[in-house]
Amino acid sequence: MKAIIATTILGIIMMFAGIMAKEKKPLTTLATILLVILLGVNIWDLTNTSSLAPESLFNNMLRIDRYALWFNTLMTGCTLLYVLLVGREIQKVGEHVAEYFALIFFILCGVYLLSCYNNLLILFIGIEIMSIPQYILAGSDKRNLKSSEASLKYFLMGAFTTGILLMGITLLYGATGSFNIVSFSFLQSDHLNTLALAGILFIMMAFSFKVSAAPMHMWTPDVYDGSPTAFTAYMATIVKAAAFFAFLRLFQVSFGSLSSHWTFVLAIITAATLLVGNLTAVFQQSVKRMLAYSSIAQAGFMLFAILAVNAVAWQGIIIYAVAYSIATIGIFTVLMKLKDYTYDGFNGLAKKEPLLAFVSTIFLFSLAGIPLTAGFMAKYYVLQALIQQGSLLWLVIFGLLMASISVYYYFRVIIAMYFKQGAAELNSPVSGTDKFMLVFTCFLVILLGIFPQLLLGNI
Amino acid sequence: MKFLLLAVDQNTPFNYFPVALQLAIAIGFVIVMMAATHLLGPKRKTHDKLANFESGIPSVGNARQPMAIKYFLVAILFVLFDVEVIFFYPYAVNFRELGKDGFYAVLLFVGFFFCGFFYIIKKKALEWED
Repeated sequence: MKAIIATTILGIIMMFAGIMAKEKKPLTTLATILLVILLGVNIWDLTNTSSLAPESLFNNMLRIDRYALWFNTLMTGCTLLYVLLVGREIQKVGEHVAEYFALIFFILCGVYLLSCYNNLLILFIGIEIMSIPQYILAGSDKRNLKSSEASLKYFLMGAFTTGILLMGITLLYGATGSFNIVSFSFLQSDHLNTLALAGILFIMMAFSFKVSAAPMHMWTPDVYDGSPTAFTAYMATIVKAAAFFAFLRLFQVSFGSLSSHWTFVLAIITAATLLVGNLTAVFQQSVKRMLAYSSIAQAGFMLFAILAVNAVAWQGIIIYAVAYSIATIGIFTVLMKLKDYTYDGFNGLAKKEPLLAFVSTIFLFSLAGIPLTAGFMAKYYVLQALIQQGSLLWLVIFGLLMASISVYYYFRVIIAMYFKQGAAELNSPVSGTDKFMLVFTCFLVILLGIFPQLLLGNI
Repeated sequence: MKFLLLAVDQNTPFNYFPVALQLAIAIGFVIVMMAATHLLGPKRKTHDKLANFESGIPSVGNARQPMAIKYFLVAILFVLFDVEVIFFYPYAVNFRELGKDGFYAVLLFVGFFFCGFFYIIKKKALEWED
């Protein structure tokens, strides 16, 4: 609650700092300090809320529980890590650095609303607050045609899906007469309500678009490829994780008891996402585009948690969100250091910058789900959740098969770095701070791979 | 007309029958009207009639030309202030009932809005000369 207010005010402070500041560098420093404050506010919120009695605010519009607060804290931490790693690249995108950071604060506001909504209207507002800054960030490289294309495409598709989401909310309201996600009347009644089921389907489609699940994934590669890489790293990680958390909240809290009606549709979406994401990633030439498809593939695994509808799913989504975010931000940071985004651009990186090659190997291991990295534990938890659910074992096996395909395209980067001859050209020199932050991120990936309970102990 | 009254009472999809009926009538009306004008009206096409009408001035070139971004900026900012007014109308009507809490809420809204206004002024979005 305090965090929602704090992030808005800090965003506005950031906006005005842009008018005062003459140079770009102090702005990054300011954004880092403000994010540390925001993290502090989040922790303050967390210590003030007991695990037994969730807090209800604004006529029951928000329901703040420990899961939501802990998720917010973790996402704020990931944002801080992101700014520390990518801050200098954000400065290079364009003139309006303060606004970029302000928009990131506003996105965080949307993330907070999405993690603790108790009312479909707040869900709608949260999704909008989270999406609109992204449309701007996607087009922030104004002179670049690709960036403008990404922005416009994202905006048009996003606006259209918002319409579908609203339609779903309307149908649910028509069926039950309530926006409150815990008091839907079909939860109690036995008879089937066609309007409500149609509404659930519409909402599922809208969420599938936001988390880029197939067949609603078409926008993802173009938008991720076209946007400035610094912002792709944010869109692909924290925003996606927040959309998943909101997805899980709604489908577990409200529609969980109806899971027999929607599980099969979502299972097909999941299987399609895994198949399309992994197979298309294999054929990519650009690593940035490969990472876009890999984010679709990872979304497939996160969908497992939503299918599972049990307690492990909550743990799974939290671990997956953090593990995936950290590793993806890390690999994007390495990518931004390189001049050439194709696989060939990575040739011989291990000789030139052994540290850079080593950390990106760890990040790629984590994305592929190799043991002792955070990605392995994340995949372990979501698969365990789905196995406990019991009726979708075919999907578990299919997921494992697809995970083994993903190893191919992640390892192609590692092979290029270590075993191919060439002189990988760097965009900018790797400074001591960069090295320290990358090693720290790498350390986090391994730490979470060994002690995943660190992410769950606080709930 | 008894079945329409019946629809109001029961909580079934049949409830929505009047809505469907009205939709059908609305679409039907448009189709009938358009078809009737096409079929019944006389058509005398002359060159002058088909030319674009621009307030009596002879038309010059294509209308789709790039124009200064400043027009769009002003248009967008106008929408922003327009939205502010949309919030004020219902507040003015419910001014007494909402009491002190309502007043503070609107004050907060105006405060945030003022921040935005200050920001556009400082960003020189309203200055026309370079």
